[in-house]
Amino acid sequence: MSVSSRLRTWWKAVKHSEQFSSEMDDELGFHIESYAEDLIKAGLSREEAFRRARIELGGVDAQKEKLRAAWGTRFWDELRSDLRYAFRMFAKSPGFTAIAIGSLALGIGANTVIFTVTKAILLDKLAVPNPDQLRLLAMTQGDKGIAHRNWGYFNNMPDGKTLSTSFTYPVYQQIRQHNHVFEDLFAFKDYGRMTATIDNKAEAVMSEMVSGNYYRALGVRPVLGRVITDTDDGAVGSGPVLLISYGFWSRRFGRSPDVIGKQIEINSTPMTIIGVNPPDFTGVYSVQNSPDIFLPFSMQPIVAPKFKSSLLTDTKLWWVLMMGRIKPNISNEAARASLDVDLNAAVRATVPVGKDDEIPRLQLENGSRGQNTAGSAFAKPIYVLMSLAGFVLLLACANLANLLLARASSRQREMSVRLALGAGRSRVIRQMLTESLMLSITGGIAGLLLGYIGRNAIPHLLSSAWQPTVLQSKFDWMIFGFTAAVSILTGLLFGLAPAWQSTRTQVSSGLKDNAQTATQRKGNLTGKTLVVIQVALSMLLLVGAGLFVRTLMNLNHSHLGFDPNHLLLFELELPRTRYPGTKTNELYYQVEEKLNAIPGIDSATAIELPLISGSVSNSSVLVDGQPRDKNKGDAISLNNSVGSRFFQTFSIPIIAGRSLNEADTPASQYVAVVNQAFVKQFFPNTNPLGKTFRADEKSTQPIEIVGIAKDAKYYTLREDPPSTFYTPYRQNADGTEGMTFAVHTRMQAETIVPLLRSAVSSIDKDLPLLDIRTQNEQIEDRTKQERIFASLTSGFGMLALILACIGIYGIMAYTVARRTNEIGIRMALGAETSRVLRMVLREASWLAIIGVIAGLGAALAMGHLIASMLYGLKAYDPYTLGGAALLLVFIALATSWIPARRAANIDPIKALRHE
Amino acid sequence: MAPKQNDLLQGTLDLMVLKAVSLGPLHGYGVLLRIQQISGDRLEIQQGSLYPALYRLEHEGWIESEWGQSENNRKAKYYRLTAAGRRRLRSETEKWNHMAEAIGAILSATPEEA
Repeated sequence: MSVSSRLRTWWKAVKHSEQFSSEMDDELGFHIESYAEDLIKAGLSREEAFRRARIELGGVDAQKEKLRAAWGTRFWDELRSDLRYAFRMFAKSPGFTAIAIGSLALGIGANTVIFTVTKAILLDKLAVPNPDQLRLLAMTQGDKGIAHRNWGYFNNMPDGKTLSTSFTYPVYQQIRQHNHVFEDLFAFKDYGRMTATIDNKAEAVMSEMVSGNYYRALGVRPVLGRVITDTDDGAVGSGPVLLISYGFWSRRFGRSPDVIGKQIEINSTPMTIIGVNPPDFTGVYSVQNSPDIFLPFSMQPIVAPKFKSSLLTDTKLWWVLMMGRIKPNISNEAARASLDVDLNAAVRATVPVGKDDEIPRLQLENGSRGQNTAGSAFAKPIYVLMSLAGFVLLLACANLANLLLARASSRQREMSVRLALGAGRSRVIRQMLTESLMLSITGGIAGLLLGYIGRNAIPHLLSSAWQPTVLQSKFDWMIFGFTAAVSILTGLLFGLAPAWQSTRTQVSSGLKDNAQTATQRKGNLTGKTLVVIQVALSMLLLVGAGLFVRTLMNLNHSHLGFDPNHLLLFELELPRTRYPGTKTNELYYQVEEKLNAIPGIDSATAIELPLISGSVSNSSVLVDGQPRDKNKGDAISLNNSVGSRFFQTFSIPIIAGRSLNEADTPASQYVAVVNQAFVKQFFPNTNPLGKTFRADEKSTQPIEIVGIAKDAKYYTLREDPPSTFYTPYRQNADGTEGMTFAVHTRMQAETIVPLLRSAVSSIDKDLPLLDIRTQNEQIEDRTKQERIFASLTSGFGMLALILACIGIYGIMAYTVARRTNEIGIRMALGAETSRVLRMVLREASWLAIIGVIAGLGAALAMGHLIASMLYGLKAYDPYTLGGAALLLVFIALATSWIPARRAANIDPIKALRHE
Repeated sequence: MAPKQNDLLQGTLDLMVLKAVSLGPLHGYGVLLRIQQISGDRLEIQQGSLYPALYRLEHEGWIESEWGQSENNRKAKYYRLTAAGRRRLRSETEKWNHMAEAIGAILSATPEEA
């Protein structure tokens, strides 16, 4: 036997079917003629001879079918006829087909998109060998903790303590020296934005600072060049070198190998590119995206001086992150205990510890996903979205199941006829299998397309208009496979189960089926249960949509206290190398003056922390002349450093005293404008104007209150403005390396931005304008999570509503069709039209009400979980709950109106002849 | 009465067709005639089974077909044995002989020897 001849014959039979058929005709015709001639010679009449010849061959068509089968085409032929039949069936009911494919596509598509994001945020690990061995060091401390000054991630724990992952550099050095539970301990810091000047062009890059043993301990090799080693991280300035990320290499250097050895300037310091990171490596701070450049800590005091002095010798500022690979034979707790002792010793060795001071306790966190701020920030919303998407999948499956069930029972007669005519059971089931598979696969492909198109939708929604994407999600085939498998299995299960059932029943009873249904009322319990589930799920999704849409509406209409319109924002970041100390303030003042001189700009101001940006600064406040309360901690107020035209630019009214002005210079009396909440907190019964207070974070000099401004929201939309004081930035003793400028103008952004650029570059040509956006974009950015939820949940809600409509309509139409006989008899016996109408509608409303009640329970449980994500309404918001319930009942009645009318218009005579 | 094809195993029909074709290229009707002729009209092949057998053998690659002229100048499809078919015929013949011997031995057994 040979495979090639088998394939050749099979191919000929399948591909050249026409030619094959005519050849068979010729061959068999020749046979019949030859045989007939022999018979004629034997004495038969011509007619009789041909008749005999044909009979003995067994019929030309039957013979041809056998010959095709001999060439292995039987399966193919049957499949083709099944497919053709299935196609005809679908074409006959396009509504059914569209809905079935549509629900599959939406179920698969939506879930693929959402689970892809989930995986990226919650599950993806650092692209280093054995990420699970990595531990991130963290520390917890209470109110009296010794670590006052923190630059980095921190989180308030439920027990009132603060968890932080930052340490001082001297503490890192001490712990690393004493460590014996980790393979090695390395340090890193997400150092933020730096200015890279490449071939005389300045641009902003994101940076990570790493210790000399970082690459060795992680086991990461560069695709090009070498890595940072201990010799690069020796004395200050010993390693003017950097590695660049693969992404930056591709984006900025077109993957040129000449990049190795290239000199570039980072914050005006010449540095050499020594290597390129591998493509998947994102550093160890975040799994989602990589900083552009990696440089050794030894360069910090030269390249990026921050605050007052070198951070490497600063024993007070906690800013460095530490990580290590735990030794294989050491338990987490043993390692933690050992490192805790090291931390205690390191703190005592580096700073004086008073008797009331609390030394932080060391904690070990899983380091396989880095600091994972995205994971903790988005975990809850992602879980909520995932559950909602899961409900949509469930709903789509329920809908599909319901459709297929109804269809199967309407085709029971067809099955019985096929069986009665001699079709084999396996043949009938195969037919149904073909139909279900065809439906499922088409739905799957549509879902794939939807998922592929939508794969970047959520990452896109999660990122700011003016910043690079927070996370890049790759299309995940495993997730697609999973959701596709679930939906296709549903299709197969509910497509095949009824077919299986119908082939098992007696043919005769199947054919008599319709006659028996005259009094059958309990039938189709499965279908009704599915409808109730659909209504319940719709209720849940509708309530979710209502809650999130109302939250967004409340946020959009919340009272800001300032006017966000016609405001354009941008940032400047100054290299400390060129602008030490209060030199920064002088530059900002120059920029302010230049901006205000541009025609078309109504007013421009500097503002240290832009409004509704999530960033906030606070300070303890001690009012002169008021006794300090020993039992309570220091009173805290928010504060912001602003330019003299701040209140004018943001249209915040001054209700008493004066605004800040040009006369408030570094040399004059320190002044502040406070808001109404500040007055309420610190001066409940007295006039605060002219009073002075001290704010330890700002200065030790007394600050005089010169004006009172109306309350305006500061860092978030969700909270009423807390007490806040505004000081002129020119009186900041230390200066700041970053400043936002707000410009009030009615000009178009395209017109004004070049003017802003030239204004800034006329002062310092190396200063890029960063993060240009409008104040409204800034606000939208802070509500992006709410917008995602509102749009996705409304989409889900609409989808649910449509699916529920179809479900209810389908089941009621089916019920009415089944009960035609019964209704005919009722009407013949004198039932009125309105009575029949009511009967049908009553059944529909029962289904809807049961579903709504079940959904209400689920919605209340869900509301409990999402309460913290809402704004301006309670999770059990009666309007939303009531509205959703009424809408569903109304929809149920409306969609069953058509079948109910049909039932009421039944002509008894016809109905009884219905058989 | 001559045994009908029904009584013969399918493998036997295949074997006879291969043998018939091995003697020279034949069209389908020729195969039928040759088998009847060789067997001295003792075997009558059922016509309905002949062509499926031919197609099956071609599908397996043991015979190949070619269109040609029949003895009365008509277009006919001729089958000839392939190399693989020759090997198959040899091994099947051996098997058949082996089996026939064994069955013969059983049938010729006498009571004394049993």
